[in-house]
Amino acid sequence: MTASHPSPFSAVTRRATLRAAGAGTALLGLGLAGCRSAVSSEGDPVPAGDAKPRRGGTLRIAIGNDFTPALLFAQSAQSLQQGLLFNTLTRYDDRLRPQPELAVSWTYPKDGRSITLKLREGVAFHDGRPFTADDVIFAVQNLQNPVRAAQLRATASAVTGFEKHGDHELTLRLTHPVANLFDLFEFMIITDRHTVADAVAGRKLNGTGPFRFVKWSPGTGLDLVRNDRYWRAGRPYLDAVELRVAGQADALVSSLRTGQSQLSFDVPGKSMALVKSTPSLKITDYSTGAGAYYVGVNTTVKPLDDKAVRQAIAWAVDRDRLLAQSLGGYGLASAAPWPRSSPAFTEARRTHYRHDPAKARELLRSAGHRSLKLPLLHSATPGDTSIAEAVQYDLAQVGIDVTLEPTDPATAQKKLISQSMPALWTLSHGFAQVHPSTLAVSAYPFNEAKNTSRFRSGTYTRIVKEAWTTPDDGPAGRARYARITEILLDEAFIIDLVVRGQVQVASERLRGVSLNKFSQARLDDAYLV
Amino acid sequence: MTTYTPEKRAARPRPPYLALLATWRGRIGLALVGLVAAAGLLAPLLTGHDPTAQSGQGLLGPGAPGHPLGTDELGRDLLSRLLYGIRTDLGLIGLAVPLGAVLGCLAALAAAAHPAADTVVQRVFDLVLAFPGLILALLVIAVAGPGWLPVVLVIALAEIPVFGRQLRAGILVQRGREYVTAARVGGTSRTRLLVRHILPNAAEPLIVQFAVSLTVAVFLEGAMSFLGVGVRPPEPTLGNVLAQAMPYLAQSPHVAAGPLVVITALVAGLSLLADALNREIRR
Repeated sequence: MTASHPSPFSAVTRRATLRAAGAGTALLGLGLAGCRSAVSSEGDPVPAGDAKPRRGGTLRIAIGNDFTPALLFAQSAQSLQQGLLFNTLTRYDDRLRPQPELAVSWTYPKDGRSITLKLREGVAFHDGRPFTADDVIFAVQNLQNPVRAAQLRATASAVTGFEKHGDHELTLRLTHPVANLFDLFEFMIITDRHTVADAVAGRKLNGTGPFRFVKWSPGTGLDLVRNDRYWRAGRPYLDAVELRVAGQADALVSSLRTGQSQLSFDVPGKSMALVKSTPSLKITDYSTGAGAYYVGVNTTVKPLDDKAVRQAIAWAVDRDRLLAQSLGGYGLASAAPWPRSSPAFTEARRTHYRHDPAKARELLRSAGHRSLKLPLLHSATPGDTSIAEAVQYDLAQVGIDVTLEPTDPATAQKKLISQSMPALWTLSHGFAQVHPSTLAVSAYPFNEAKNTSRFRSGTYTRIVKEAWTTPDDGPAGRARYARITEILLDEAFIIDLVVRGQVQVASERLRGVSLNKFSQARLDDAYLV
Repeated sequence: MTTYTPEKRAARPRPPYLALLATWRGRIGLALVGLVAAAGLLAPLLTGHDPTAQSGQGLLGPGAPGHPLGTDELGRDLLSRLLYGIRTDLGLIGLAVPLGAVLGCLAALAAAAHPAADTVVQRVFDLVLAFPGLILALLVIAVAGPGWLPVVLVIALAEIPVFGRQLRAGILVQRGREYVTAARVGGTSRTRLLVRHILPNAAEPLIVQFAVSLTVAVFLEGAMSFLGVGVRPPEPTLGNVLAQAMPYLAQSPHVAAGPLVVITALVAGLSLLADALNREIRR
């Protein structure tokens, strides 16, 4: 911009500036008109009875964040491609019961100290190499490596012994029983052990999944093509999948409305009204609770080391207003992290903190504070800014003056992992959608051993470890989950706001899409009509 | 008897910044800029709403009771956000552009004083100009974080080489003029020659540049706030009000209409003023 600074002595100056301003307005108008026209042409009804899967076609997925190869083995903001290029050992159904994928059956003794897996035969990596038990051993050891920053490293590290029984059967020995072993199997992608260095650099992604890697163009997206050697006969139906980055929410929604892309999971709540008014698009709400918005509290910053102050913040926030205004009504206002599908969910705990500014003020007074001044970090996207502004306003009403610190999402993630957050922050967390102990041993904000809030409690650690090492979803197990939730609510080092599932926006022409519990896309059965 | 009739003194030409008022460009430009500036300066009188006060109302259309332009998704009054946004923008560019102009002129004078200084200043200008405005903004924000001051810094930094180059070129032209040679022969010191004689003649085009730079600053601030690296929310600026309106462009275009109209009026007004000044100076 500075380079093309206009000279005052040129008559073009005025014209150029006026043209720029005029053209900007005109283009905006034309753009809108163009969108509407294209959307209208997209709105043709699907032919009646045309429900039979069709082979062929390219599916374009609009993504808000680019693929980050360095986070291939971690849960990142964008994990769709993991399910396209790779397989996992098992896959949860809607009731968290593991179903076979690359593991066809398993024997899990009652003592919980080992599991024997029978692996699928006839599976090959994209380069033709057959899948064997050695690949499973590598996958577990890979997640044990701290460099991979895998949130389920604690669970992977509980596996300390491997016994191969041929190429397609092995036993994993555990130091102690772990309740979330199948979370690990749902999360852990099976990658080619010979090319893992290329994989984390984004050069070569060699898996056993339904699509093969063609190229990754940083900032643009990923190109994948059909894996003709896929172990599921006749699958996938699609010839190719293209993931395209649309950093701006408006561009992302426009690409869906104009038919440039047919699928996205990154449409912000603010744009849902626009999507709803587009007949060619349909919205599917996966109420898995794969993400939850929260306010994090750094408990080492005074006066946030005082539980009463943290609880005051929890009472001050109007979750229902935030859900309606900033998230378009998609989600579940909740003081606890759990979605309805979780065994830890109870209605009483969901509504433990309601919007009660008077109570918040009273708590602050009891802690000796009438007003406070605190920074709050948030991701500088329009959706997250709206949430931060809503929280800021609610806290201002009880005397907490919050200064917002907009930060780019990658930096926010780094600060979260490195425990260098300011007094307050607002982001979203995952891991409440699977086994309840996974949240407390794996998610950065909740990790009992090392969390972003720097909260330490012997009771929390003990109860989390009990829940983690006791595979039991019966009454005793549920009592432990209840105890974990009570500690989370009472200590309020993470203040949950809204539990949100994945909201899928797809073209009416697209069928057969699904996600696993960790937001990895499953397009084996997807097809375009 | 002879009658003495005093000779009529030739009328002194009006300075260009007054003469421009006689042109339609100047009048329209001034009217547009004046209107926008007055709206911003009188914001507390024109609206009774706090621009950051939220309510449970959500998006309201124009003409809603108590909210002539409606409200945004957090129930904030759009008129007050627009008026206070103008205030913020005017404050930013009113501080940043003069700062950039002063620093640019000082650099140009330093460059004119010594050839070595000229080389250093020119290379520094090249370095700053090598970065497009937005890249420069992202660099500054990465170091200083978002906020009011970094926006002022970015605009000022972008304007320093523009004013510096402009003044340096003017000084080089004036140095070759006969009056400079005469002054030098008459024993005028280098500093006095530069500051007293050359600078007033070389600086005249900077008035036009100033108006152009204000236009560019409006764009730059708007772009930074639009990208979320400008003034911290919830303080309104024209750019962040526009950015927040984007998701509702199709179903609630009125949210974006206010800042769009104001930015267009401000830019068009400043451009017309710059053009009128330019014509008067060249006359």
